[in-house]
Amino acid sequence: MSTPVHGDLYKLVRDPIDLVALARHVRAPEDGALVTFDGFVRNQSHNRPTLYLDYEAYESMALAKMREIGAQLHEKYRIHRVAIVHRLGHLEIGETSVFIAVSAPHRAAAFDACRFAIDTLKRTVPIWKKEYFEDGAVWADGELPPAPAATSRAKPAS
Amino acid sequence: MPSVSQTIRLKILFFGRLKEIVGHAEESLEFPDAATIEQLFDHFAARSPELARFRPSLVASCNQEFAAWNTPLHSGDEVAFLPPVSGG
Repeated sequence: MSTPVHGDLYKLVRDPIDLVALARHVRAPEDGALVTFDGFVRNQSHNRPTLYLDYEAYESMALAKMREIGAQLHEKYRIHRVAIVHRLGHLEIGETSVFIAVSAPHRAAAFDACRFAIDTLKRTVPIWKKEYFEDGAVWADGELPPAPAATSRAKPAS
Repeated sequence: MPSVSQTIRLKILFFGRLKEIVGHAEESLEFPDAATIEQLFDHFAARSPELARFRPSLVASCNQEFAAWNTPLHSGDEVAFLPPVSGG
């Protein structure tokens, strides 16, 4: 369903995300706008000081869903390139957990696409974070992805 | 349950708090042919009763795609029960 688009980048990583390198990757001479979203670890959750976060993912499905988001962006908006990178594992306060960069000939499409990408990622990509506090840890409240209510699946034997 | 006696082999994945409840991330299981994802979940909930209370806040996936609970399963399917997602 997601046709690969030249130059797009979708990754799950365990090391710090190089924001500048990704922005540079997405930027091209035919563009006039680059919009980025840098999601990073907040030092508190519901007024409790956070020590650190731990992210895990259903990696194969998460990557597939990130590519689907990219394909949707190209269908919906006049944009050029997309990069979506999410970090997994142990993250300290202030470290980037997700970075999205969208380039486009004109700014409106880049803003709209970047907003759509992070909102959709937070609803549909199977990634989970556990928040660690002085007195324990909890899995963060998340969003329930929209799933088909019922199916009359007839899959050919594989 | 279906009347056929054939079984299929499934791979089941657990994430987040479900992984903590079940005690591991992945298992392989023989299950009756043409059973649904719901029946598979019931199997695990019978084994780990704490799972049952999370059922309303889970979505299922089959082969890396969100799937309805009444989806019939086939041999080789990879099924996961996904807690509310909290990436970003």
